[in-house]
Amino acid sequence: MFGYGWLVLISPLLGFLSLSCFGKRIPRSIAGYVACATVGLSFFISLILLVHLSVLEPENRVGGVQAMYTWIDSGQFQLDFAILIDPLSVFMFLIVTGVGFFIHVYSLGYMEHDPEFKRFFAYLNLFIFSMCVLVSAADFFFLIVGWALVGLASYLLIGFWRDKPSAVLAARKAFVMNVIGDVGMLIAAFMILETFGSLSYQKVFESAPGMFLANDINVILITLFLLVGAFAKSAQLPLHTWLPDAMEGPTPVSALIHAATMVTAGVYLVARCHTLFELAPFTMYVIATVGIITATFAGTIAMVQTDIKRVIAYSTMSQLGYMFLAVGLGMFSFGMFHLMTHAFFKALLFLGAGSVIHSMNDEQDIRKMGGLAKAMPITYITFLIGSLALAGFPLTSGFFSKEAIIMASYHSAMGNIAFWALAIFTAGMTAFYSFRLFFTVFQGDSRTPDAHPHESPITMTGPLMILAFFALTAGVLGHWVDGFLSPVFGGHAEHYEDGFLETIAVLVGFGGILTAGLLYMVPSDRVAQLREVLAPIHDILFHKYYVDEIYDFLIVKPVKAISVFLEDMGEKKGVDFAVDQVGVQVREVSKYVSIWQSGRIRDYALNMVAGMALVLIFVAFL
Amino acid sequence: MLFFIVFIPLVASAALWAMDKDSTGSVRNIALSGASLCFLFSLFLLFGFESENNGMQFVAGITWVESLNIHLKFGVDGISLWLVILTSFLGVISVIYSGYSSNQINAKQREFLALLLALEAGILGVFVSLDTISFYVFWELMLLPSYFIIGLWGEGDRIFATTKFVLFTLVGSLLMLVAILALSLEYHTVTHEWSFDIDTLSHMHLSDGTQLWMFLCFFLAFAIKVPMFPLHSWLPHAYKSCPIAALILITGAMSKAGTYGMVRFCVPLFPSAIESLGLIIGVCAASGMVYGAWIAVMQKDLKSLVAYSSISHLGFIVLGIFSYNSQGVEGSVLQMVNHGIIASAMFIIVGIIEEKMGTRQLDKLKGMGTPMPVLYGMFMLLALAALGLPGLNGFVGEFLILAGVWTSVTLSAMAAIFVLMGGAAIVFASIYMLYMFQGAMQEKNADLPKDLQDINCAQFAVLLPACILVVFIGLYPKPFIDRIGPSVDNALHAVKTVNVHTGESTSHH
Repeated sequence: MFGYGWLVLISPLLGFLSLSCFGKRIPRSIAGYVACATVGLSFFISLILLVHLSVLEPENRVGGVQAMYTWIDSGQFQLDFAILIDPLSVFMFLIVTGVGFFIHVYSLGYMEHDPEFKRFFAYLNLFIFSMCVLVSAADFFFLIVGWALVGLASYLLIGFWRDKPSAVLAARKAFVMNVIGDVGMLIAAFMILETFGSLSYQKVFESAPGMFLANDINVILITLFLLVGAFAKSAQLPLHTWLPDAMEGPTPVSALIHAATMVTAGVYLVARCHTLFELAPFTMYVIATVGIITATFAGTIAMVQTDIKRVIAYSTMSQLGYMFLAVGLGMFSFGMFHLMTHAFFKALLFLGAGSVIHSMNDEQDIRKMGGLAKAMPITYITFLIGSLALAGFPLTSGFFSKEAIIMASYHSAMGNIAFWALAIFTAGMTAFYSFRLFFTVFQGDSRTPDAHPHESPITMTGPLMILAFFALTAGVLGHWVDGFLSPVFGGHAEHYEDGFLETIAVLVGFGGILTAGLLYMVPSDRVAQLREVLAPIHDILFHKYYVDEIYDFLIVKPVKAISVFLEDMGEKKGVDFAVDQVGVQVREVSKYVSIWQSGRIRDYALNMVAGMALVLIFVAFL
Repeated sequence: MLFFIVFIPLVASAALWAMDKDSTGSVRNIALSGASLCFLFSLFLLFGFESENNGMQFVAGITWVESLNIHLKFGVDGISLWLVILTSFLGVISVIYSGYSSNQINAKQREFLALLLALEAGILGVFVSLDTISFYVFWELMLLPSYFIIGLWGEGDRIFATTKFVLFTLVGSLLMLVAILALSLEYHTVTHEWSFDIDTLSHMHLSDGTQLWMFLCFFLAFAIKVPMFPLHSWLPHAYKSCPIAALILITGAMSKAGTYGMVRFCVPLFPSAIESLGLIIGVCAASGMVYGAWIAVMQKDLKSLVAYSSISHLGFIVLGIFSYNSQGVEGSVLQMVNHGIIASAMFIIVGIIEEKMGTRQLDKLKGMGTPMPVLYGMFMLLALAALGLPGLNGFVGEFLILAGVWTSVTLSAMAAIFVLMGGAAIVFASIYMLYMFQGAMQEKNADLPKDLQDINCAQFAVLLPACILVVFIGLYPKPFIDRIGPSVDNALHAVKTVNVHTGESTSHH
């Protein structure tokens, strides 16, 4: 029925293959269009799938597995390469290919002067394909395949400017951290295979509720190992350190992979496996707790960073924390709704930042920017919209999605005052840092007088305007998202009304914006004074709580030292020495029988033949 | 058919000895035609092979010693099929590499190629022998050419390396010879008939004590050949000295002789010994996995890096075999093929890098990717396959092996720990492979030779098949597993029909 759904995957794959294998023959002028067209086609087919699903009865919308071929057949382990077309995967398709398409178009302008233009688009197409595999896999095996392939695409794109040592290092860091997550998923897959005898979602989710009581140790272990993968991919504590460094990649990559799509895979995973997670309330509690702590942790760091992309990167981490809070509380459709609005406004902010960086000749330090409003009106307005949505300003999309989560953090069954307090505190910080960034970059006077900022070309501002439109208005889709996904989640998420708490949330948001305005709208020495008063705290935050340094000291250095130690002691002085000693001792003994050791190959050969003959004779006479 | 496959390289090798020393052109043409012909014949095997059949196919034999019932008997089943094809394929690759590419062997090319072909014949003979004596003869035949290749064409402390390698392996193979003879004696005691036929012997019931010591003899020989931690200490020296052209065969095919022997002999012959010793071997294999990978992380010499990564990957294979269930053993057999493809290609790349830059020290390399886009792409693909990226072949094998270990009965006491160690090895693999790839190919290098060219046709030709195969097996392993599976199940469930106590031989299944 949904066989044509394969086209969503195949189209960008063909784009990748043609650009990477025949890149030399494809003229540069059309390479970019080829890449955009393949993703555009995927988006178009996703829209058709959406219509197709919408006309079906709700109960017929789930379980549409489309197998392509049998991948392996080994004993009890059989696996088809199959995709699952249901509301959740189509929802993710739409975000991935939709936002992906606009970012492709934006890249036409952004990467225009890059000598490796074609390689860039090949990798982008590879990413879209991999992400589609991830969200449409019908079993845990191909989930892992997609999971690792997006990690690969992310690695390739972070390290896209391969001449830069920092980019090479950041790419490797991201890859290795994601492999740690992959291994976690792999172990979860083994446990699932052993428990359920199958890796297919359908079988696992059908039989799980009948097999386990709540908080069965098996299901807790399975979900916790899945979480290792989810946290690594979505940069949650303690596996988050790769995400800020990933900003070494070109900005459209940060927008697509490290804001809108790939990093949300962890949230998708929890939503997809909600049947398992619901059986493990303990794990759900872990998710919600890690989510909200990450949100707060990243929010505090974002307040003091000075690199425009790093501010947005930490804010991404923080917003992902909100999504994990939502799914951890069992409010899956709220998590997915925030995932969607976040994809719009965060992609918008990154692309806006890219536009700024582009016009400032690759300057990323916000302390050197300022007064860009006049030179770049479209970027200015759209960035304002993005910041408002991120800050949760009333009636923007971010307001609706974040509000729902904050209400649930107090009112839902697992909610409590601590979750709510941290959520509201983080919301205040979010409003503050997003407008600190906005005011510093666009208001006041230019801090680099010799820069000549200019507005970006239409290929870049076009996507900005479209994304701004969605960032502003997507809030109205909240009920539709809930209804559309309800066949997957088996019910609606309850929307809590609480006028008092809502008012607090709105006021805190205003407070954040106001504080930022007072401090940064017009340049003053208040900021410097404040920084001096809070110097110790500022220091810790500026150095991101020294997590990188701690990891380096606790993990990286010991791993390297042990490697050297093993080679030194284990190889040269241990195993090898022992073996050589045997040799030396034998040689001592052999001095007495050294007649045999003439040093001539012919003699050795003769000895060998004689020995063999003796053995054969011995055998023959038995 | 199998006689052709084994003896064509041998005949070609003999022909080379007989040829005039100076006609290098015809020397390498003869070598190449011999290797290619052998490869073509092995492809016929693939088409004629019945995948449902779990027994030996293409069986052919001649009597060697009639009184003792020793035969020169060849046959292939699903376990050896892919290894035969792999070996004959790598034979072609290494002849092209040593004879035609820009980093060919120049000194005494005729002798080198002749030894290479003899080595290939030895390896092929090991994989197809159905008789313990002929197995042993080919086993030793592998040793001689590699001894001379490392000793005469090697670099560095080559005499030490090759002596160590040979002594080590000889100790193991002599133990194996003792066990081979004892096994047939045992059969003779029971049935009053002689047999050296592996299949016949594997239906014999052996007491636990006998199994134990015979198993140890066989196992040590195989474990040294693999080599397996902690018996690996010949490998870093030997690999470091060995010329790349021969390493293609030695790492790609010969190291599989050890793991193949474990599947062919240890699994069907000594089930109770595996039950009692499996866990200890598992500990060694899993330690080797982590140990090799961990040391590889800080290696600066690319050749040593790949050598230590091989120790790690071979640890995976041994662990899979001793999981003693179909997934684990199937994964191991597939992983033998995968490792053969990937490791040999890795060594070729190391050879190319050394040729282009004059060094293979990681700290002196940088930025080769910009002038060499084709090598960049191929190297990346193979590095990703080596670190086990899902979607490529290395992952298929590792997944099946670890899934087998997870559900293994023999390893059940420590299964979870082994899988975690496997996970650690995978993480280390991603670190050292990226160190290697990024270190050599990325970042800016102002000191690159001005005339640095991308790889030439011959080098492209030897790397391309590997690149295609890593993708193909990764995306579609079914044709491989379909053929491996039935034979593996057959080996795992060898029915013991010859009973020691009654001394009677009932009908064979």
